[in-house]
Amino acid sequence: MYQALNNSNNDSFPDESGCDKKSEHPYQKKFAVVNPCRMCQPMGAVQALLGIEGAMPLVHGSQGCSTYMRFQLCRHFREPINVSSTSLSEGTVVYGGEENLIKALETIKIQYNPTLIGVTSSCLTETIGDDVERIIKKFRESYLKNHGEKFPPVVSISTPSYSGSHVEGYDKTLVALLENLTLPPESEHEPDMINLIPGNLSPADVEEIKEIIKLMEINGIIFTDNSESLNAPLTGSVDFLPSKGITLDEIRQAANSKITLTLSQHASSGGKLLNKRFGVPHAILPLPIGLENTDKFIETLSSLNYVENIPPTLERDRGRLLDGMVDSQAYTHGQRLAIYGDPDLVTGLVSFVVEMGMEPSIVATGTKSNQFHEDIKKITAKTSHDPVVINGGDLYDLHQQVKKTGADLLMGNSYGGRIAVAEDIPLVRVGFPIFDRVGAQRICILGYKGGLSLLDQLTNTIIQYYYDEAGYEL
Amino acid sequence: MPEKNNNQPYHEAENELISSNRVNIENLKEFETDIKIPEIPEEIIKTLKSRKNHMCVKKDGTNSIPSCNEVSVPGMVTQRSCVYGGARVVLMPITDAIHLVHGPLGCASCTWDIRGTRSSGSELYRNGFSTDLQEKDIVFGGEKKLLETIIELNQIFEPAAIFVYATCVVGLIGDDLKSVCGEVGKITGSRVIPVQSEGFKSVNKSLGHQLACDALLEYLIGTEPPQNKGNVNRNEVEDHQDIDHSLNILGEFNVAGDFWAIKPLLENIGVSIQAVVTGDSTVEEIAQANLAKLNLVQCQKSSRYLADAMEELYNIPQIRVNFFGAEETSASLRAIAKFFKDPQMIETVEKIIKSETERLEESIAIYRQHLSGKTVAVYVGGNKAWSLIQAFEELGMKVLLTGTQNGLPEDYQRIKETVRDGTLVVDDANALELTRLLDKYKPDLLVSGAKEKYLSLKMGVAFCDFNHDRISAFAGFKGFLNFAREVDRAVSSPVWNLSPKIKAPTKPDILTARSIEKNPKKKVSEIVPGS
Repeated sequence: MYQALNNSNNDSFPDESGCDKKSEHPYQKKFAVVNPCRMCQPMGAVQALLGIEGAMPLVHGSQGCSTYMRFQLCRHFREPINVSSTSLSEGTVVYGGEENLIKALETIKIQYNPTLIGVTSSCLTETIGDDVERIIKKFRESYLKNHGEKFPPVVSISTPSYSGSHVEGYDKTLVALLENLTLPPESEHEPDMINLIPGNLSPADVEEIKEIIKLMEINGIIFTDNSESLNAPLTGSVDFLPSKGITLDEIRQAANSKITLTLSQHASSGGKLLNKRFGVPHAILPLPIGLENTDKFIETLSSLNYVENIPPTLERDRGRLLDGMVDSQAYTHGQRLAIYGDPDLVTGLVSFVVEMGMEPSIVATGTKSNQFHEDIKKITAKTSHDPVVINGGDLYDLHQQVKKTGADLLMGNSYGGRIAVAEDIPLVRVGFPIFDRVGAQRICILGYKGGLSLLDQLTNTIIQYYYDEAGYEL
Repeated sequence: MPEKNNNQPYHEAENELISSNRVNIENLKEFETDIKIPEIPEEIIKTLKSRKNHMCVKKDGTNSIPSCNEVSVPGMVTQRSCVYGGARVVLMPITDAIHLVHGPLGCASCTWDIRGTRSSGSELYRNGFSTDLQEKDIVFGGEKKLLETIIELNQIFEPAAIFVYATCVVGLIGDDLKSVCGEVGKITGSRVIPVQSEGFKSVNKSLGHQLACDALLEYLIGTEPPQNKGNVNRNEVEDHQDIDHSLNILGEFNVAGDFWAIKPLLENIGVSIQAVVTGDSTVEEIAQANLAKLNLVQCQKSSRYLADAMEELYNIPQIRVNFFGAEETSASLRAIAKFFKDPQMIETVEKIIKSETERLEESIAIYRQHLSGKTVAVYVGGNKAWSLIQAFEELGMKVLLTGTQNGLPEDYQRIKETVRDGTLVVDDANALELTRLLDKYKPDLLVSGAKEKYLSLKMGVAFCDFNHDRISAFAGFKGFLNFAREVDRAVSSPVWNLSPKIKAPTKPDILTARSIEKNPKKKVSEIVPGS
């Protein structure tokens, strides 16, 4: 194994995971993270909460936590993002954050009147040992007594930044919502809904998922649905809370669903919980990027709905994607790619580019995951490709590996821009954050339609970079 | 607003303030030129009672300033940052240093390479370095990991210095940054500088500015280069001829290349620049900053403290400068020449001002024509809350309100001295208040940072980034032209004239045209032009 590429001491995974014998790191970097490729848990939690109608995320910590997260989110989605803070300071840290947390809940009710408040902890409050659950319970009881009305639901999510990453933070938030809000199933209820957990995706991708299930005539509850809140039209007014998204009622009713479909290996705890607690069947599918993954998704949907014929629109879109792949293959075949980002995204992208005859030469994720390594192996086993897997690494590792292994094209977030410039290769922007181009909220790579738009972008980037104006290879 | 009983509990008294979460701003363009600013600050906008005295209108004869430097109300969407953030913005422009964030990864992963400051040399400062503390480090302490990380980074990157920033959790687990840095400094023979910037130390990131300056004063300015000279690029400042006319610029961070717009002006008038603290500067330039004869203080917010300390320690006098706006730039150049009492310099300054102003006048006329009479709201983090006022006046624009997220009493005093009567001065406005202020004042332009950008644009208020994200230099004469152009681009864009709603046609012209059409062969294009 090469230690250097597994230097992130994420305790939730064994250390011998995700290693690749053949790669030797140029420097035995063991301790430092240089140019991070992951965010902290509260960031994932906030992203999940922003897909709930009328919900307000509250970060229990220093002001910088919420402010810098908002900065990242604003410049990616190009939307006003509201995340409140308990504004802890030296005095409150000494005596615990209880007073600030209670005051924050009161202020949020008065100023924003949300349907739900999601309290995410931080490394600060986890270390001083605030018992957020207890504080919330006590506060809600006394609020009921003093006001004669119930305080809006408050869900606490334990997200210490010193373990895991935003990927776990997202997953934990779904669990917290389901654990706290979902009611037992009604026995005589005939299930006609499904729960759909797509994972932490762009608004346009969530919208595409919604389109597909609508075409399949399935009613889905999307955990969580940022398709409107983070891709909002200009109406002349500002929404301080997500104007649309999954509703509280939908979360409450989730146990009545026919099944939970999870499109992410790393956001599957919610589905598992519903299965364990209420017996709702649970299936995990790969993220529908590319032809085969999308087929799998649609086949599953059709089996749920007992639809024998796939809707003609989807058949057509599939045909268009295949047509596009055939048109592009001469340009894409054999191109070597370095792909980095969240594990599910990278896995999906690898599956797609392999369909196109491209070669993933390096695949990297900042969040360490055994599953990721297995998934990549599974995909590439069918091919002659043997990519270098950087599991739980950073962009410095990626850069060193690109220098060593080589790549014709980079795929990932904006932070790879400097690697692209240094190595003189193009970067196709997908993932989070994308701040140096417009339209991050509109990037759609899922389903047949998203696949086609990604394919066109990939191919045109290759043509732009490696062919002259007359169309000859440079 | 109805009278409130002050004895009521906090939440009850404020209950009436719950209003719709949507702030309607239709009729954007129906702007009243005669703004009646209420005399009682309570009535400026709806907000929490505790927040009311954070807004204050400048009036003749009064010397009141808004309440400031207080804890933000918990639960608000605050625009403020943390102490680490404050220290980071001051030091991170030092280009050939490693800026290592000692803490969990999140603190580094949201803040690396966002300063927007440019370098003519090393790009090392743009990388995001973290010790990535894990649960076991929180339990057993992070000192060992910090030590190993510093040694490793020093080996790989051979930086001129490593700045180590403390984050919240480091303060709690009690890692002794100073001793670890001292120890590694001895092992590696390199400069390793602790910055005690635990995020929660204050509600005001100004403390972070000060702590950053403390780190420079204690560990860098006036120090000899380290033993390990291999990676240190130091041009010794000796008795060079210009030494009498050498100066530092404090609080200039070279955002979007601002310093590069000022540099030729200063060189032309015959001064030599020893160090810029900290824009486009190297570690060793700053180490010799104590040899300069004068400190220019550009960002008074972050660097006044440093200037005072250098005056005391090294007898370096200071003058305040402001290179935003032509008049302020001219005044600053004159002040420098006056300080050096050099007749030739005074003459050169006048010559430069004359030629630059003439050239500027010619190019700027068109923008002034577009912008004259337009109104502005300024809400920023630092000294721009006052240093921009004059620049807008020069463009014929009117500043309706100005404010900062973390001003201190002396900052607001400065603002008071600069703005006209009737201008609203705001402290620590949160997102909701900012929306209400924009809704009330309906300025043609908001000048602010990235977090406020989309709030403003969604409301149909033009926006100009004067923060880390801007794309061109705004300082000096040429910068002022860039500034005028950017403001004009923002304000004069035709997109603001487009309606956010489709208007339902009152008369269905097309249908009418078709129904009265006698000749069925007539083409559509004759009915609907352009189709």
